[in-house]
Amino acid sequence: MIDLKYSEILKLNKQLGLALQEEQFKVTVLANIITHQLNEIFEYTLRTENINAVVRSGDYDNIVQDAAKFNDSDLIIIFWEAANLIDGLQYKANLMDDAAIELFVSKTCTEIDFALASLQSTSQIVFNKFSSIVFTNNNIKKNKFDIICNKLNAFLEKKQQRNLLLIDIENIIASVSVQKSVDFRFYYSSKALYTIEFYKKYVSHIKNVIFSSKGKSKKALIFDCDNTLWKGILGEDGFDKIEMSGKSKNGVLFEEIQSMAVDLSKKGILIGLCSKNNAEDVENVINHHTDMIIRNEHISIKKINWDDKVSNLKTIAKELNIGLDSLVFIDDSDFELGFIKSLLPEVTLIKVPTNLYEYPSLVRENLSLFYSNSESAEDAKRTELYKQEVLRADEQKTFDNIENYLQSLQLAITIFLNPTNLIPRLSQLTQKTNQFNLTTKRYSEADISKFMNSNDFINVAFEVADKYGDAGVVGICILALNKENKTASIDSFLMSCRVIGRNIETAFLNFLLKYLEDIGIEIVEAQYIRTLKNSQVGDFYNKHGFECVHDSENEKRFKLKLADYKENKITYIKINDGREN
Amino acid sequence: MMEEKIKNIMASVFGCETSEIVDSSSPDTLENWDSLRHMNLIVALEEEFNLNFTEDETMEMLNYKLISIVISDKLSVKK
Repeated sequence: MIDLKYSEILKLNKQLGLALQEEQFKVTVLANIITHQLNEIFEYTLRTENINAVVRSGDYDNIVQDAAKFNDSDLIIIFWEAANLIDGLQYKANLMDDAAIELFVSKTCTEIDFALASLQSTSQIVFNKFSSIVFTNNNIKKNKFDIICNKLNAFLEKKQQRNLLLIDIENIIASVSVQKSVDFRFYYSSKALYTIEFYKKYVSHIKNVIFSSKGKSKKALIFDCDNTLWKGILGEDGFDKIEMSGKSKNGVLFEEIQSMAVDLSKKGILIGLCSKNNAEDVENVINHHTDMIIRNEHISIKKINWDDKVSNLKTIAKELNIGLDSLVFIDDSDFELGFIKSLLPEVTLIKVPTNLYEYPSLVRENLSLFYSNSESAEDAKRTELYKQEVLRADEQKTFDNIENYLQSLQLAITIFLNPTNLIPRLSQLTQKTNQFNLTTKRYSEADISKFMNSNDFINVAFEVADKYGDAGVVGICILALNKENKTASIDSFLMSCRVIGRNIETAFLNFLLKYLEDIGIEIVEAQYIRTLKNSQVGDFYNKHGFECVHDSENEKRFKLKLADYKENKITYIKINDGREN
Repeated sequence: MMEEKIKNIMASVFGCETSEIVDSSSPDTLENWDSLRHMNLIVALEEEFNLNFTEDETMEMLNYKLISIVISDKLSVKK
């Protein structure tokens, strides 16, 4: 997108718009300047990822009123340009006295409050922070216009609104340069301030917010080893000659790369190795080389062998239970990367640059691929969780029958009804879970808290633990109740793929149905919506004795009379009631 | 060559076919040629021909014929 000309974007965007059949993703841009050139660039960028975006602009300089009018959008972007808060604020500010500035700031804050209040129920608001940089970047001292922007930003940063994301627009202006970000020719004649070049950078900056909410952000970063984690070839140069510390000219770059990887692993990104090497040699480096920063505790998976990397990456995706399109792979070999690209085009590839000093910044530029809207306590534990998964898989091999194995695990699930403290985690689960997800409805934190506050919905979450450890909150069911008709319908039923294969879903469903019966429900309705990734749950309701009442290509609908339900008792899973804690 | 490039850009910007663009095509004859899309046209032409138009030029460029004259004048000065 960055390399395309504007006229090419317009043309390609029109073609994509005609081809996409997906449900529309409605974006509204509210602004007090003209920003229409953003719309098609943003549409095009999302459409290339199969998101059928439709971007429209609110009326010019009508943000407060339009916030109420367009609050059903999936995303609201707010360009509240400081210089046009009143016409010519960039110079009028300097003529104001302190009292006038205070009054002006407080009036603007009231307007911001009004707008944000109207947008409480919108899934996501992207709000650019106020900036004076375009007008004041040559000044040595701050002027009154800068001060107004600072005060407004301080106010914004204090806002506690779950759906509000503030964007440091000055970072984007800096990456384009002030001069190339704005076109004063159109600002003074038409109030259109920013250039195409600016909008392209802006879009590539914020697109990951949308990708994350659509479950499209990357989950794992996989490294080759030689000349990727360290300088040199272990099998040829040897243990003592590979470089990855500040003690050598090239080593310092790899120290930075390894440190970034460790930081990512702490944020819940899975780190893996996929390398043609002798496994014991690499293990020796990981365990004993004093310069290594990445250690086994940071690594979720290793495929170090002489098999081809395509098979290894496939195995990695399978064992981590994530899609190939969630992987980012770094290697220094064009041959390997070319081979992977031809057979696994879904994997995002990064080539170690020939100029090694460009390597850390290249990786840094790609970090936004891993952007996640919500970070939760589970993120930090994830590396550990996936490692437990690998341990369990090992033990599974020694049991000849899966039931015996499951018996030995000492599984327990703890149930939580409408747990308001878990809103970020539950929203994140709806956004990230692709495989064991019956309806794949994505919900923001604002959506989940709406369900929690409504008497017509029940959110049931559960946590799983076994003798190896605690997997945290890994599943949720959202139920819509119709008490008059004694009917409940299952809006969402999903579970993280890391606990698949233990019949936890059956134990959870048993609990839910019993619970519904206890509160007087007689009929349960359910739905399966087919996606590219959830075929494994296509027969989930059939298997549990629901009657299929509708079956089309994209959707199945089910009905169950609770009186008829024949429970398949899972004796080896203990169920705890989280309400008692 | 230059004519073809201009027509292609006008077609992309105004969402029409290149065959619809004639010498007299102007905001009066092309439905989508409004003031906002005029801005789009100017920046797209600047990008294509690596030129900068003055404000006066942008206000003159109000039909296909005038656009091609302004561009060819500027390109010949550049050489």
